[in-house]
Parts: sequence; structure tokens; C-alpha cells
Amino acid sequence: MATASRFLRKLPRSLTLSPTHLRSNGARVLSCLSQKNTVPLDSFWRIGGSRIRHVSDTTRSFSSQGPASVDYSSVLQEDEFHRLANFTINDLLEKIEDYGDNVQIDGFDIDYGNEVLTLKLGSLGTYVINKQTPNRQIWMSSPVSGPSRFDWDREANAWIYRRTKAKLYKLLEEELEKLCGESIQLS
Amino acid sequence: GYRTRRPVSPSIGFGRHRSYHENVIDHFENPRNVGSFDKDDLNVGTGLVGAPSCGDVMSLQIKVDDSGQFITDTRFKSFGYGSAIASSSVASEWIKGKAIEEVLTIKNAEIAKHLHLPPVELHCSMLAEDAIKSAVKNYKEKQAKANGGAAKET
Repeated sequence: MATASRFLRKLPRSLTLSPTHLRSNGARVLSCLSQKNTVPLDSFWRIGGSRIRHVSDTTRSFSSQGPASVDYSSVLQEDEFHRLANFTINDLLEKIEDYGDNVQIDGFDIDYGNEVLTLKLGSLGTYVINKQTPNRQIWMSSPVSGPSRFDWDREANAWIYRRTKAKLYKLLEEELEKLCGESIQLS
Repeated sequence: GYRTRRPVSPSIGFGRHRSYHENVIDHFENPRNVGSFDKDDLNVGTGLVGAPSCGDVMSLQIKVDDSGQFITDTRFKSFGYGSAIASSSVASEWIKGKAIEEVLTIKNAEIAKHLHLPPVELHCSMLAEDAIKSAVKNYKEKQAKANGGAAKET
């Protein structure tokens, strides 16, 4: 029990580590494994609040019922994913930065570090937007709509959350306008 | 069930420290309902969600009474973030003794609120909501199959 407390206290919010450091000193949080687990354990690392990952060569999806039975590399090649996602996130960064200059929100702050975009809107809440490379998705955490995961839809030329059919840009536009009172043009 | 925890090596340079809410620590140190049921038991529904590549995998199992309406017991196993483990522990606790249709209304936001999850970990609570739905779905499918394809009236 003491081990767990010490361990939890030491988990940092964010870390910047070199890859070699990660490989030798990563922290693992493990509750217990399903009996059917055949995935090599050393592939998974959890370090603080930022999702730094050592991606295993054998990325296996887990179950027949779970959402991860798609071979994502066939859906979108990794380099294309990075290109699209990086463009989107940088685009959002610029536009929201300008937006922040125009709206008067106490505690407005936008930060892009470790490939994670964090938008603070003071007491209105915080957005976190990041890439989830193994799934070829952009993940967003919103103070309004909670967590969502966007897949690239080639036909629509947009990032879409399959569960609700919401488009990333449109969802942000609506939410930011509601929260801050000023409309924003993202697309 | 067992849990394995490895302490962080002190040689890592830490950035800002973050403190977990006491509810998360409580569920991490004293997780409820860790373990598993026999998957093949007709009264058991198994939900398995997440993906190792994401770093989060949750298995949540429900044991349903003979009427097919109420969850009498639960078990979970989680691998990944402390918040994911805590979320699945909370989920396993909340659904015990409830009607299956009622647990389907449990929202990730409630779990997140209970654990005071920060924005970056809201995804963990969503996974727990998915696990509940997945377990119920599996139970219903098994029951339907056992009843020769006719959907069980609940």
C-alpha cells in the first residue's frame, strides 16, 4: 500500500524525456491483466499526464467486442496521419491564439507542448487536444462535451467523431462561441 | 486478483508534480471487485474495451440474476492509467445491485466528476462507460443465443 502512495505522489503531470531515458526508466501502472493477454508488457508506458508512448512493433487489438479491432495502418498510413493531424492541430493553435487576443477571457492561455494542445479558458474550463497515433485519431477533452475521438474521413475531408458524427472544427466552433460569447471561424 | 505496481525510478527528472484526487487514490489502493468470473457462465456478461496500443485496457464482468434483470456481482481487471483503473473500479461498484437497463444510463461524466478527473484523463471515464455497455451487450447476446435466437424479454 505504501508503495502505491509513494508511486502516485511521484507521478508527474508532464515530463520531457529523451527516448533513451524512456526506454530504461519508464513507469508502468499495472492493475492486472486479462488472461488472454498476449501483448508484450514492455511496450506500454505511462508517464505522468502526458501520453508518451513507446509504440510496440506488434500492436495488437484486444477483443472481438472492443473498438480496436481495426487495422489502422490500412486506414491511414502513419506519415499521412501525422501530416494531417499536425496540420490540423497547428491550424487550431494559430486560429485560437488570434481568437484569444480578441475575446476577453480571464485566464485565457493556449499552449502546445509535447504535441499536446492545451487551451485554458480560466474558470470556463480546459480543452486538451492531442494525437493518438496508434488509432490514427485526434483525441479531444472538452469541458462542455467531455472526451471525444476523431477519425479522419477522406470523403468529408474532416475529422469526425463516429459516435456522434460531430466534426472537430464545427464542434469547437459551436462550443467556443457558447463559452466565450464570440464566434470563431475554424474551417 | 492481483495488482502489480512498479515504483518510478527516482532518476527521472520530474516536471510539475500532480496530485491525484483522494477518490482516485482510494480506488487505486483499494480497488473494488478485482478479479474475474467464468466467461462461459450464462449469467455472466463480459465487456472488454480499449487497446494495448492506447495504454488502456479494461475488462468488466457482470453477473446477472436468474430473472435477467439485476446485476448481482461484478469483477474488473484494468491495465493502464491510474485513472483508468479507478474509473473501472468505480464503475464496478456503481453497477452492483442495479438493473441492467439502469446501468446503461451511467454516463462517463458522472464517473469523471466523482474522481475529479482532469481534462486529459476524461478518456478513462469514457472507457469505463463503454465497458459497462459492452458487458451488458455481451450478456444479452449470450442470453439471446441460449434462448435459440429469441431476444430475452427484460
